[in-house]
Formats: sequence, C-alpha cells, structure tokens
Amino acid sequence: MKKQLFGKRTMAVITAALMAAGGMTGCSSGNKETTAEVTETTSAAAAAVTVASESKEEQTTADEIKPCEIKFRYWADNTDYSQLMQDIIKKFNAENGKGITVIGEESPWDGGAYSENLFNSKMGGGDVDCAAWKLTSTPLFVNNGLLADLTPMIDAWDKKSEIDDNIYNIMVEAGDMQRIYVMPWNIQVLYVYYRPSIFKKAGIQVPKTYEEFLEAIEKCTMDTNGDGKTDVYGFAMRGAKGGQEPWGSFIYGRGGSFEDLTTPEAVQGMQDFIDIYQKGYVPPTATSDGFSEIIANFQSGLAAMTIHHTGSSKDMEKLFGDDVSAFPFPKGKGQWTSMGDTETVIFESCENKKAAFEWVSYLAAGEGQKMWCEGTGNVPVSKSVQESDFFQNDRFMKASINGQKFAGIVPILDTTTEWISDLWPNTVSQALTGSITAKQCMQTLQDGLYK
Amino acid sequence: MVKKRTIWPYVLVAPAVLIILCVVFIPVFNAIIMSFQNYDLRRPKEIAFNGISNYIAACRDPLFKGALFRTIVWVICGVGFQFLLGFILALLLNKEFAGRGVIRAVSMIPWVTPGVLIGLMWRWIYDGNFGVLNDLLLKIHIITDKVPFLSQVTTAFPSIIVTIVWQGIPFFSLMLLAALQGVSAEIYEAADIDGASFLQKLFYITIPSIKNTIFVTVLLRVIWVANSVDVIFNMTEGGPAYSTQTLSVYIFNKGNALNLGYASAMALLLAVLLLFAAVPYLRLNFKEEG
Repeated sequence: MKKQLFGKRTMAVITAALMAAGGMTGCSSGNKETTAEVTETTSAAAAAVTVASESKEEQTTADEIKPCEIKFRYWADNTDYSQLMQDIIKKFNAENGKGITVIGEESPWDGGAYSENLFNSKMGGGDVDCAAWKLTSTPLFVNNGLLADLTPMIDAWDKKSEIDDNIYNIMVEAGDMQRIYVMPWNIQVLYVYYRPSIFKKAGIQVPKTYEEFLEAIEKCTMDTNGDGKTDVYGFAMRGAKGGQEPWGSFIYGRGGSFEDLTTPEAVQGMQDFIDIYQKGYVPPTATSDGFSEIIANFQSGLAAMTIHHTGSSKDMEKLFGDDVSAFPFPKGKGQWTSMGDTETVIFESCENKKAAFEWVSYLAAGEGQKMWCEGTGNVPVSKSVQESDFFQNDRFMKASINGQKFAGIVPILDTTTEWISDLWPNTVSQALTGSITAKQCMQTLQDGLYK
Repeated sequence: MVKKRTIWPYVLVAPAVLIILCVVFIPVFNAIIMSFQNYDLRRPKEIAFNGISNYIAACRDPLFKGALFRTIVWVICGVGFQFLLGFILALLLNKEFAGRGVIRAVSMIPWVTPGVLIGLMWRWIYDGNFGVLNDLLLKIHIITDKVPFLSQVTTAFPSIIVTIVWQGIPFFSLMLLAALQGVSAEIYEAADIDGASFLQKLFYITIPSIKNTIFVTVLLRVIWVANSVDVIFNMTEGGPAYSTQTLSVYIFNKGNALNLGYASAMALLLAVLLLFAAVPYLRLNFKEEG
C-alpha cells in the first residue's frame, strides 16, 4: 500500500514536472536544431566563406551558367502583388535563354516574422537559394555566414551604373562595411498623405516647414458637428511596431539624429510627438495603432494626414479621387524621411550563384524592375525606369522622388530588429502615456540601439 | 497472487516515452544548457558559458518583475473566472431543457477557435475607433466617449483577461459537465428528502463528488494560461508600454530577438514557478485519494 502511494506521489511529481516543462519547450524547440547546429553551421559557413573567397576569382570566370532551378522566397502584401510576382517569374523563366527556372515560394511578411522564419529555415539547412529582403536582417545573416558576397558579380555586371552609388553604399553599410551582400531592388520613400478638402476647411496650405506641419496637425483637428467631441484628428500617428519611421521625421525636424538620440534637439522632437498625442491631435488609439489602423483612420476620414509610401496610393486614389494628395515631410532644422527598402539576397548555400544573380539583377534593373515597380507603385532603383513617364507623372511618386534626397534608414545594427519590434513601441508608448519623460524615453532608446 | 513479470508493458509504452524524450526532454535539456550561456544568435562569436549571469540579470530586470506580477494576475483572474463561469455553465447544461444539445455545441465555439483568430477578432471588437463594443456601449449609454480599450495602460490588461476568460469557459464547462453526469441522482434525491437547500447540495454533494476533475482541470489551465502567448501577442504584442507583457510573452519576445540564453533562463524560472504550484497541488490530490 505504502509502495503504491509512493508510486502515485512519484507519478504526481513527474506529471507536474512534465507539464511545467512543456512551457519551456516553446522557448527551446525553435532552437533545438540550431543549438546543435549553430556551431557547425557557423564554422561550416565560415569555412565556406574562406573557401569561397579563395576561389572567388576562379568561380566568377570559370563557372558558366547551366540549366538549373533557383528557389526564390518572397512576400507579397496582397494577392495582386502575389500574382504579379508569379507573372514576372513566368516571364523570366520563358525569356532568360539560359535554362534558369525560378521557383517562387511565397511566405507571409507577418509583421517581420518573414525574416525570422527565413533565418530559422536557413539555419536548419533550408534549400532556399535567394530571397526578397529587408536590410535590417543583414547583420544577423552576415554574422552567421549565410549570405553570399555579391561584390564580384555586381562589379562585373553591365548594368551596375543603372543604380545610384548612394544606394550601393547603404547596402555596404548594412553588411560588414566592405562587401555588398544585398542587391538593391526597390525603395519606398515615406511622405505625408493629406486630404485637400480638410485642409481647405481648416484654412491652411500645404506646410512648407516642420513648424507649419505641427501647426497643420493642430488646425486640422476639428469638431465638425459641434457636439464638443473631435471628429477629425490632424494626424494618424503610428505608435505600434513600425512607427519609428514616421517618428524619425519628427526627431530630425528639430535637428536631432539617430546618431545620438539624447541631444536636446532629438529630445525636443520626441516632445513634439508626445505633445500632439497628449493634446488630442491624434486618435487616442495611437499607442497601439499599426499600419492597418493608421490607413483605416485616414481612409475613414478620421484623420487629415498620415505618413506612408506609395504602397497605399492606389487604394487612396480609388477611395478619394482628387481629394487626396501628398507632400514630402517638411524641413525644419533638419529633414529626414524613412526609406523603406526591399532588396534581394543570394545565400551562401546556393549552388548556382551566377544563375541566381541573373534573376536578382533582372529584378534590379531589367524587365522585372519595371513590372514590379509599376505594379506595386514602389520607387524603382533603376535610373532609366525612374525616368519613364509612368513615374514622372504620378503625384505620389513625385513626392517619393522628391523625398529621396533626404531619405535614410534607421541604423542597421544587430540590435535594430529588437529595437524596432519591442523596445521602440513600448518605450514610446510609455512616453506618450506620461509614464516617462521625453528625455528618459530617448535615453532608453539610445541605450537599446547602441548597446 | 503472484504478478507475472513481462516485457510487453515496457515495449508498448516505449514509443510514447521516445516521443516525449524527443519533444520534451531534449529541448528542455537544451534550454537548461543555453540558460547558462551568453547565447545570443545576433552575436554568435560571443556565445560562451556565463554561469548564472542570465538568472541574476532576470532578477534585476524590472521588465521581468513586471511580467512576473502580470503573469500571476493573469493566471489568478483568467483561470479563476474561467472556472467560476465554466462551472455555472456546466450546472446549467446539466439540467434538462429544450435545445440543450445545440447550446452545448455552440458553447464550445470559443474553445475550438484558434488563439490567433481569437486575438484578431477581439482586437477588432475592442477597437477604439470602429469597434463593435464601443458602438454597443455608446448605444446603451454606458459610455459617452469611445474607449481605446487596447491602447490605454489601464484598460489593455483587463481587456485581454476578459478575452482569455471567454476562450477558456467551454473547457471548464465540458470537463465539469462530464464529471457532473457521473454523480448519482440518488444522492440528490436523498438530500431533497432531507430538505437540503441548493447551496447545501452544491457544497456537500456536487463539489466533493467532482473534486478530482476540478483539481486536474484547474491545474491544466493554470499551466496553459501561464504559458499562453497567442492571444496576447495577437491583441497587443505585450504593449502598450509593456502593460500586457506576461512572462511568456516576454520570453517569446526575447526568443524572437534571438537572445536565447536569457529567454531560456526566464523560461526555466517560469517552469520552476509552475512546479511550485503543481507539485503540492497534485500531491495533495493523490494523498487524499490514497
């Protein structure tokens, strides 16, 4: 009997341990392969890089493109873009004349989880050859030896000069400061969308300076039916993940910069951001508003202005016709707007790098560039495509192209992803809701980015 | 009677044990090792043994302490209300009435809906600008201004607790209903003859009769709710201002940020915490049985 009771007790303890431990597997199961493999993969990748660099010259000259399959992973923001990418792939496969068959593998963007899934896939030995890309992921993949060095292939590319040197420089800065691991594809320059009819009602013109912009936000906040409640807010603020992009414009507007977020100018920019929230010039949901919410707020007429890129312009135009327009973020002491980026990469594990380069260069300066940018409304990186009528006659594209000269990116460090997805939204919402001051907020953001 | 020793029981349980070893023990062992390392995949060259630094860092981390406190509130309120409302629902569904089968089936919907969908659905219900809840409350004059439920530090956490309660009620009602159906009607008849009130029957017959089911169900839900990420992550991602960040969400965020050493250390601390709750609970249960 005693023995039986002891057995039951033991069972109870083991059962409890198993149940409680179950929670931990969630944390570690994602890495169970990587733990054992990371050292191997890292060293294998490092070895591969060494071997690759030694034999690079031989490879680029001797390796001819043979008929092969290239697996390309990408995301598409909607079903139209998904179909468009399939059309581009189809066209490339039919016309490349080298027997290269690109197989498009779509994966959802999922608020950035795309990059994490791609990383897990490559660390686990996934067979993707090349992929659509965001610069923020570059340090992680480079540190783990997963990306192929594209420098020799770009140097030998006959369309290299089609892309501005400044863009290549940004690609170099995102990697190891020496090599290009990332192939430019298209950019999205953020600008301000506004409703001319609301501006007219508020009696204001398109702001020319940062101060005028802040004033416009205030004046567009209106009680249109006289019930004492705000019906139209001046600005649809993005306080959730991704909000660092429009926020950066406020910081630079006061003369601050990402290099040091604790300067009085940067703190003042943060204070402006807090003020427009606390004074009720933005919807009270701003602390948790992400992309869908700011666009919904603007499209429903709840907000007079918002910041986004040409990715939204088609829907805006369809909804408002001429009652929607755009201007570049106005200049204050400084001027900055976020340059959203989309690139492509080739993985070190790809066995047919030259064939993969044919494909990614087709997207960067060939017919793929034209088709994708015309279909999605993104700003092309190819100068000749930029100069075409399609891009020159569009008011939203014009705002993008005008903003291109002062557009930039959040510093690409190994801390950037966590900073964007976790630290920035939570710290800024602490400041917006008054838990911390603008100065404390900027100190936390500085420490988190440059730790 | 002499028990015959045979190898068959061991052979038959071997596949299950093997699977548990692979999907539970190996990852747990892995997590334990990582928790003693500076295991940050963003800086793979710096991966090295660092003793109990991750545990010390967790103890000093104000975000960890805040998340721990919220986890306790999350579990107590979440499971507590799930049990209470699930029990009431089970008692109601145990009565004979027309359409009982349909109601039983419909009441299971929250439980069979994936957590991700629940998160998205409730996020739109709570939406501060266009949400149906605000619309409803305005129409019945409970509020005069729209409430940004998920955007305010004061309302975000209670809002997600309501969601997890809504999700978990059917599980309790299902388990408790099954147990209630096993309680003999004769005991209630005898109690009725003795003139027992509803509450007396509830506390002296019903609850003692289904005590073991209550124990197991509560324990399971405590562990599941403490570890749940999907609903919170899809509704608020732990924000605004970390106000809905429970320990499991914090671990998930750190894991996503590839700081696996620190995430593993926190996961182990959470597991130990759950063990403290689970072991005495199960021992008490088995002791009373024995």
